Amino acid sequence: MRENDPGLTDHDFLGARAGEPGAFAAVVRSQQRLVYGIALRMLGDRSLAEDLAQEVFLQLHCNLRSIESTAHLTFWLRRVTAHRAIDLLRRRARVQWAPLAAAEELPAAGPQGDPLMEARLLREVSQLSPVARAVLLMRYQQDLDPTEIARTLDLSLNTVKSHLKRSLATLRLQLSAAEPGGGLVNHEP
Amino acid sequence: MSRDLEKELREALRPVDPGEDFTARVLARLAADPAAATRGSAAAPLVRRRRAWIPLALAASLIAALVLGVQWQERRELRGLQARRELIEALRVSSQKLDLAYRLVNRPHPTDGDAT
Repeated sequence: MRENDPGLTDHDFLGARAGEPGAFAAVVRSQQRLVYGIALRMLGDRSLAEDLAQEVFLQLHCNLRSIESTAHLTFWLRRVTAHRAIDLLRRRARVQWAPLAAAEELPAAGPQGDPLMEARLLREVSQLSPVARAVLLMRYQQDLDPTEIARTLDLSLNTVKSHLKRSLATLRLQLSAAEPGGGLVNHEP
Repeated sequence: MSRDLEKELREALRPVDPGEDFTARVLARLAADPAAATRGSAAAPLVRRRRAWIPLALAASLIAALVLGVQWQERRELRGLQARRELIEALRVSSQKLDLAYRLVNRPHPTDGDAT
């Protein structure tokens, strides 16, 4: 998910900046999946993610004039959403993923997915620190490379690489411990 | 069968749409609370609130330190004055006793010739 959603045009973006009615709504519609997607996978709670996503767009409305392009908009949304989620997680007690018994509260597994494996993986991801979780999201949800992740999250490149390496090792260890017969292929981030 | 962790992660962490009414909820919130749009991030006001009390706390600490310092100095002076008074009193008592002792030692004794 490297590019803006196809729905966001320069016309909508410039119109939103100029305060044209309906243009900001078009921006929200085109970017809501990006913002909510980051918020939900960071926080693990639909209503918290909804609140956070709404606040990000309210903040966007205030700061539109300082955003120069659609690419800048995407960068800004990722950055603000991730930072807000990290701050929220740090202020609150660690948010636990819903147990399997309440799995109907979470989005259904994707077409390729094993729902149990997915739930287990999400639970292990939720055990990571907020920053490590954000790094994983930027890499595997937003498809950013480590340099872009570093810019987005205000981290050094080495810190990003370290987080990725350690997080993957931790996840691999936890998942392998649960299923001794299921080895995971090792990939360098 | 081995699995690809990165593939599993991409699948598990895929973005999710908040639903068709999300945009309407954002616009409703914007309309209901226009001031919300002028507030910065949730973190920024918190940071500003955190930082705002620091100079006040420093000023209060400085004032408290000054007041305590003045009080300490006053108490010190009072103790000094008290000690001075006690010393003077002790010297006065000592002087009275010495004076009495001197008079006792130096009072004229009656002679034998005066007795007849």
